Amino acid sequence: MTIVRKAQAGTMQSSDLMVFLEPAPELVIEIESTVKAQFEHLIRAKIEEVLRERGVGAGRVRVTDRGALDYAIQARLETALLRAGGE
Amino acid sequence: MVTELAAEADRRRARALIEAQGLSFEPGFDELVGVFEGGRLVGAGARQGSVLKMLAVDPAWQGGGVLGELVTGISALAFAAGHEALFVFTRPEHARSFEELNFELLASAGPAALLEYGGGLGRWLERHRALVREGDNGAAVVNCNPFTNGHRHLLEQAARRCETLYVLVVREDRSAFPFEARLRLVREGTRDLANVRVLDTGRYAISAVTFPSYFLKQGDDAAGVQMELDLELFGRRIAPFFHARRRFFGSEPLCAATRAYNQAMRRVLPRHGVEPVEIPRVEAGGGPISASRVRDALRRGDLAALEGLVPGCTLAYLLSDEGRAVRERLRESEGRHA
Repeated sequence: MTIVRKAQAGTMQSSDLMVFLEPAPELVIEIESTVKAQFEHLIRAKIEEVLRERGVGAGRVRVTDRGALDYAIQARLETALLRAGGE
Repeated sequence: MVTELAAEADRRRARALIEAQGLSFEPGFDELVGVFEGGRLVGAGARQGSVLKMLAVDPAWQGGGVLGELVTGISALAFAAGHEALFVFTRPEHARSFEELNFELLASAGPAALLEYGGGLGRWLERHRALVREGDNGAAVVNCNPFTNGHRHLLEQAARRCETLYVLVVREDRSAFPFEARLRLVREGTRDLANVRVLDTGRYAISAVTFPSYFLKQGDDAAGVQMELDLELFGRRIAPFFHARRRFFGSEPLCAATRAYNQAMRRVLPRHGVEPVEIPRVEAGGGPISASRVRDALRRGDLAALEGLVPGCTLAYLLSDEGRAVRERLRESEGRHA
């Protein structure tokens, strides 16, 4: 799928994350997290996995995380993609 | 659930909650929102453009998720309104609560702290990385409303004293001359100075116009705090990025607000290893050249009085159709900084 418009999902609550998407010529992933030092690589791996599954190769993905677990990351990102997307 | 508070009774409740937290209720916002628990308003806050303000949580509900809920709701509204970075001005003791929500502390000064959500400052700096040259550099922050021979003199003198001079033109559009025109004239008017780089301040010059004072106590000097915060941000984050060791500014014989800002530069900048350098104003026609003098002449419709005050690029702009529209607006307005 393709990111064709700006979209957002998630909250700023503890154990959750906010996802912001917008169209961009290349794929850019920006991660801000209260546990960035320990877990940035895992958050990034999860985001890349979801994007790969959905066939998203371009767009700006901004994430601000407060210690979300994998399934929360997946759910929030998929919701944002549905809001941002066209096939 | 965050809800927008539109009904008069809800607004009164929000005001009472905000005031109970020692904040002042400051009218002038795009949305006022609240969080209810069991029919009771337990949190409230407002958004003005990309600035969050008057966030207040009932003490019985502090430390839970109410602040996160409020900020989530407001940021969704801000995002929908086209803002991607969010700012909050608050007391330094509350900075930590916002840092836990992934806000970044940009600067603090006395009773005020400025935090940003969305990493905008980092991105703004990155965008200018290609302009950065290590060396004995300097900076000047200018409004140039419009660009005069006085600005030209200041920048020429400053450029002689550093390897690279970064000229930051204030982006905020509250001046008679639109930002794009101010920036263009500074570029044209300094094109022959090989070591000058002209860029814009983005959102990172804190002006009196966007600075809220709802969190200050009576007797706090709002204007002074705003200036210190602006200079802390410059000294702590902007100057080091550009290797700027000096900041240049013109002496101010007329305007008290600008003179106070010059004083604040002398006080704050040395703490960050930046030397404040004042350049005496040049005179023409029996008085110092200033942009407000140029605007006064335009208000009077007296183009002849511009002789010696503005360089060729500004004069050409003023005579263009675009410039004519600004002149006409000026003739209908009043005031020094308009």
